[in-house]
Amino acid sequence: MATFEHGSVKIEVDEDGFMAEPENWNQDVALALASTEGVGAMTESHWKVANYLRDYYKQFGIAPMIRKLCKETGFSLKEIYDLYPSGPAKGACKVAGLPKPTGCV
Amino acid sequence: MSSHRKQPKSLKDISRPSEQLAHVDSLDLFPLPPPYDNPNDPPFKQLPQKTRDAFEASLDDTLVVGLPKPKTKEEEERLVQAFISGLRKLFTSENNWTFLQPLTLSMEHCARCQSCIDDCPYYEMSGHNELYRPTYRSEIFRRLYFKYVNPGVAGFNRMQNGDIELNWTLIARLLELAYRCTLCRRCAQSCPIGVDNGLITHELRKLFSSEMGITVKDLHEKGTVQQLKVGSSTGMSPIVVKDNIEFVDEDMTERTGIKVQTRWDVEGAEVLLLHNAGEILAWPDNPGCFALILDAAGISWTMSSDLVGYDGVNYGLFYDDVQLARIAYRHMEIAKKLKVKKIVMGECGHESKALGVIADRVFQGIPRETAMTLMADIVFSGKIKFDPSRNDFPVTLHDPCNLVRAMGVVEPQRKVLRYLAPRFREMTPHGVRNYCCGGGSGMAIMSQHNFMDWRLQVGGRKKFKQILDAFADEDLNSNSPKYLCAPCSNCKGQIRDLFDYYGAKAKSGLHYGGLVELIVNAMVDVKEGFINWDLM
Repeated sequence: MATFEHGSVKIEVDEDGFMAEPENWNQDVALALASTEGVGAMTESHWKVANYLRDYYKQFGIAPMIRKLCKETGFSLKEIYDLYPSGPAKGACKVAGLPKPTGCV
Repeated sequence: MSSHRKQPKSLKDISRPSEQLAHVDSLDLFPLPPPYDNPNDPPFKQLPQKTRDAFEASLDDTLVVGLPKPKTKEEEERLVQAFISGLRKLFTSENNWTFLQPLTLSMEHCARCQSCIDDCPYYEMSGHNELYRPTYRSEIFRRLYFKYVNPGVAGFNRMQNGDIELNWTLIARLLELAYRCTLCRRCAQSCPIGVDNGLITHELRKLFSSEMGITVKDLHEKGTVQQLKVGSSTGMSPIVVKDNIEFVDEDMTERTGIKVQTRWDVEGAEVLLLHNAGEILAWPDNPGCFALILDAAGISWTMSSDLVGYDGVNYGLFYDDVQLARIAYRHMEIAKKLKVKKIVMGECGHESKALGVIADRVFQGIPRETAMTLMADIVFSGKIKFDPSRNDFPVTLHDPCNLVRAMGVVEPQRKVLRYLAPRFREMTPHGVRNYCCGGGSGMAIMSQHNFMDWRLQVGGRKKFKQILDAFADEDLNSNSPKYLCAPCSNCKGQIRDLFDYYGAKAKSGLHYGGLVELIVNAMVDVKEGFINWDLM
């Protein structure tokens, strides 16, 4: 565990930089984490992806299938990469405050 | 980096405290072919000083295990004693029912000829850094064996084999060094007498796990422990996996025009289909294609919604025999309960080796078959009509080490590709002489600290070069699609990260997927254009 600080945000993160306590997520945390993943600014499209991931995670306790993420948000995989250059798992999930996806994904 | 040497000068350096035993910089790395010969790669990220202060990080540029430094001398001493105790246990039959014999032979019979060392992609790609020479690790372990386990009469063996000082510095470095090898066993294959450096690495990981409780979180807490508790290393519970598979079925039905419906917990089915559950989340076309093909071939099959029954992953294979046995035992119980005729292992290399070979005795005669042989049988059975011209794009094949080198499943997947992919070409070398993806033994799922940089720049370099070479007769400056067939979930994770890292999809049109997707894409009854490059 390590402490991640950015502006007024101070959170605990794991060795991959994912939130250790996802329940402490808020929009300021998302903005702070976005700065580590090559996301310039959080646009409406970024929030659409992040909010979908949050909602799914709250319901099922893990990240959704990538294909589901695309279908439900209407973004293609390429568009997800355009929004989050480090990809849906390492980028978008991190910014949305989910723990690091596990297993061979 | 002037404060430390770039590589150890001798085996004994491993016991001598220093800030960092070895360092690789980008100029040392083996060059890649164009258009990747002069990439503006982001520089290799260095570990921040506070990380170096907090963790045992004196091996090299990166960290996988990331063990916090012991707080007291007493704790250090306790760990040293636990290591010695674990080392001795590895050489007793009651504590090492799996690998005692090959391990002992690998200790006693190495002639130090070094025939094996150039087989290691890590060693070669690092610019032949001494630390990554496969025999560097093995020889240290061997000296410890002759010092603490088999010193011989009056210490004769110990003297003959050379001394090494066992201290905490050595142990902490050996721990990390056990995760700078993918257990690909390419070096073992070239040993004239069968000494197995991969096995030695494996046994080291096992010693740390079983005797000292030191593991990598991705393999243990989030891997085997989570799988046994929640049902899958991915964290999918039975409810979630069913929900996801329903989505896969609907998506497949829509895109292929053929009704796909997965069946759960069917007693007496011919086949229990056991995927690496990561496929369902990350590469859903793969399980979808299995469902479609098995139905088209008229095979009765089922998936299991019991805990562990829908995840063929067995990370125990990489670090701990007891965890391996626990998971294999669950797989066996489920197959027995469902009274299936056999288990078919999805496109996953380590699953195939764990279930097919290592846990053989656990299965009490229940047959297990790899997807490769079953698919070749189906494709050539005449039950399905194909139009190979639908796969009119360049295809090459990656050989997963566990499936190909370890198990000898070499030909079935090639037979299918030679028939269904008219522009198929081999990599050089291939088959049992293949190179690892660079993320073998679960390392593809590790990215803690700066390890991703190391895994891609050093670890996956040889594979990336091989892939580029295989497509050298195509235009690598054009994004016209090229398909790397990699029938293994772990390898696909590493290959995705490699392609992302180098921007190879946009730049060269490099895509990757499994074998079954190519089969479905060539089926006459399936709507044309099943393989959709935008989804990959």
